[in-house]
Amino acid sequence: MEESPLHQFELQNWVPISIGGLDISINKAVIFMWIVIAVAAALMVMAGSSRKLVPGKLQSLAEMMVDFIRSMILDTMGKEGMRFFPLIATLFLFILFSNLIGLIPGSYTVTSQIIVTAVFSFVVYGLSLVIGFMLHGVKFLGILVPPGTPGWLVPLMIPIEIISQVARPVSLAVRLFANMTAGHVMLAVLFSLTIGGGLLIGWLPFAFTVAIYGLEFGIAFIQAYIFSILTCVYLGDAFHLHGHEEHAH
Amino acid sequence: MAPPQDPLYAGLGQAVRIGTELLAALIVGGGLGWVTDTYLFGTTPWGLVIGLVFGLGAGMRNAYRSAQRWQSPPDDVNKQG
Repeated sequence: MEESPLHQFELQNWVPISIGGLDISINKAVIFMWIVIAVAAALMVMAGSSRKLVPGKLQSLAEMMVDFIRSMILDTMGKEGMRFFPLIATLFLFILFSNLIGLIPGSYTVTSQIIVTAVFSFVVYGLSLVIGFMLHGVKFLGILVPPGTPGWLVPLMIPIEIISQVARPVSLAVRLFANMTAGHVMLAVLFSLTIGGGLLIGWLPFAFTVAIYGLEFGIAFIQAYIFSILTCVYLGDAFHLHGHEEHAH
Repeated sequence: MAPPQDPLYAGLGQAVRIGTELLAALIVGGGLGWVTDTYLFGTTPWGLVIGLVFGLGAGMRNAYRSAQRWQSPPDDVNKQG
């Protein structure tokens, strides 16, 4: 009856599919990804369908969300960042809903798979590189030498900046994955202590389970927020190459 | 979407961010060094050592950057790395 707290993350292939040696089997994570997309899309479409001047509950929730994402983009990227509104909003909603749906007991947290978060973060980072090179050409490499670096430090700064650039998508992916995984492991451990402890002492870990569950709810929002605001920041960096920004002033 | 604005959660978010920033750069630096050692030049252990040192530097830099971004008002965000 003892179960590993990591057991919840294991995936079995439910519908094995293989095309040309490529394993695209359907497992729990895939199903839950579909559920997340369906729920997020259904909520937003439903919220947007009435378009009343005096919004109802659902509509005002959706408006709040859109406004929140919009101000996040304007704060970090400025006006030209609004081009990326669909991307950022999709990322934010997908991550938020998969975190929240993952909190329902018995369901699965898609974002606790590092491959999911890694694909997101590397796509975002790749996009920022493409935009940077498209807008600035070779000058974009200037991102490796921060403004105000003394000449003799340049050979030292370039490897450091290369590593710090490569670390961006890694930290983006690891942060979301680690937070979701750690939270669910913690909940699993505490809850198994509750079951094992019985009535006499079991209430203590149970109280912690409830408290951590509340905290996880906040973390679900925070992680979605952090992921999307850092996406904005990285894309914004590609827009406004900081060296040039400062020369302009 | 209140939680991110809540001071407790905003602080928590920052703490989590800066911690991972340090860790990720160390992993990348050490990883690059290790790959150089094992697969490219066979210079064990120097690639790993130098990679870790640079990784630490990069991690500090990233952590510093994100802390700096946190302090400044939103309008200034574009101007600093």
